[in-house]
Amino acid sequence: MSEQSEAEARSSRARRPAIAVTGFALRACFPRKRRWGLLLPCAMAILFGLLARTDHGTASEGFARVADHGLFGLLLPIACLVIGDAVMGAEVRAGTLPFTWLSPVPFRTIAVARWAAGTLVAWVTIVPAFALAAVVAGVPEAAAAAAAATVVGACAYVAVFVLLGCATRRATVWSLGVVLLGESLVATALVSVAQLSPRWLAFAVFGGLTDVPSDLVRDGLARGWGAAAQLVVITLVCLTLSGWRLGHLRVSGSSD
Amino acid sequence: MSAADPAFVPDATVEATEVSVWFGPKVALTELSCSFGPGVAGLLGPNGAGKTTFMRAITGLLPVNSGRLRVAGGDPRRDRAVQRSIALVSEDEAVPGSVSARELVHYIADLHRVADSGAPERALATVGLLDVADRAVGKFSKGMRQRTKVAAALVTDPDVLVLDEPLNGADPVQRANLIELFRRLGAEGRTVIVSSHVLHEVERLADRVIVVIQGRLAAAGSHRAIRDAMDDRPRQVLIRADGARRLAAALLDLDSVAGASVRDGEAVIATNRARDVAVALPRIAREMGIRLTEVRPLDDSLESLFRELVR
Repeated sequence: MSEQSEAEARSSRARRPAIAVTGFALRACFPRKRRWGLLLPCAMAILFGLLARTDHGTASEGFARVADHGLFGLLLPIACLVIGDAVMGAEVRAGTLPFTWLSPVPFRTIAVARWAAGTLVAWVTIVPAFALAAVVAGVPEAAAAAAAATVVGACAYVAVFVLLGCATRRATVWSLGVVLLGESLVATALVSVAQLSPRWLAFAVFGGLTDVPSDLVRDGLARGWGAAAQLVVITLVCLTLSGWRLGHLRVSGSSD
Repeated sequence: MSAADPAFVPDATVEATEVSVWFGPKVALTELSCSFGPGVAGLLGPNGAGKTTFMRAITGLLPVNSGRLRVAGGDPRRDRAVQRSIALVSEDEAVPGSVSARELVHYIADLHRVADSGAPERALATVGLLDVADRAVGKFSKGMRQRTKVAAALVTDPDVLVLDEPLNGADPVQRANLIELFRRLGAEGRTVIVSSHVLHEVERLADRVIVVIQGRLAAAGSHRAIRDAMDDRPRQVLIRADGARRLAAALLDLDSVAGASVRDGEAVIATNRARDVAVALPRIAREMGIRLTEVRPLDDSLESLFRELVR
């Protein structure tokens, strides 16, 4: 075999485990019950879209308020928590992670592939639901902005929950703590903490790409693509830490 | 370590040197040193002895707090390439329930970049799961789950196979088939480490036995040596016979019998050389015209052997 074809073959084989991990996570981490569970936030997003119509202001103002509190403040973190926990934390708790861990696949590949599976699920479920919510709210021109903000917000959120899944024993509790205490309380009060919050940054992306009432614009936060870049950085940092953490994990069984 | 130390083998593929593992205040393994080479070796110990912790450390799933573990020349915890050579069949029942046995075995093959596309089907056939390979693993019985994990381990063609209580839940036929399979893998030159808390199971499986008690190495050697250690310890033997009192009196004349008690037609004798009694008893009973209806040791559990070994 020539050097080039050997390198090609190696490169082709190198892709295989990453694809295998992603594909397996999609099949193994989302059993039927969890798949149905993911439809709930999607349905709620549409309901929030309808709710926006009851706002006294313009349609775009009403949708912006619903997006701030309902879509990006509640549904995005909760849906991503379910998804992020499914692809990592639930496996660690169930004791099934060793099937993947005990392989020559590098830890960073496992972390990225699991994140990719989770992000894919988030994109397929909540991104169209959030875009549809804008249409239902009577502001179809905001659908693209809602979708774009959800795409980058979901990337960061799933990465955060993947990290918590392999860094803590009670990933669900820690994840809820991050969302409810960290983002809803601390980040609401401190803009420096909001700089690290996918919830606030995702809405800042949305706010930068469409018109939102001035009282919803948060000073000190980047908007639009600047906020999206911050979310990408958070994603990369979380994935790097997840890969490192997987290598230092004490992998126990379900009976431990 | 000396050349004659039964805890070590000359051509070791797995080497543990003063390995200690603890979980907070609980010490699971204490300065455990031994090695494993090609062939089947049994890891024997009562529940909670540290067998599972040791096996998880060997595969790299758990880090050691002190000491050194080498598998196939590398550190199983740090060197990912070592994972190509190792496979584990864990004791717990955790399996990804929503995937089929075929999907799981193919997944493991993909992770290990198994080039032979027929390997997953052969692994499933080896454990007798080919007919039900498309059923969700979550709906399998405990024995079938174990066999699925064995298939997932075999598909990677590992040099070191670590099996934690692999016969749990298997029916007698499957148990016999798995024992034959593990022995064959050992004969092929693979290092097969099998844990169990059942001595006779390990005897059927392994040529060499490492006994772990309370996280420490308690004994090592052939199962015959372990069995001899068992034979040489004081034990009680129950004898039911139609002339139990006369028989007990006659047995007291033997040097190997230290005492006897008789009640309700059965005698209990104390001996520290059970093998001698086993040889002499039928002869004496025949000479006295006594018909034996039952002879069994009263404390022949593995736990009693362990108690003796650590005393």
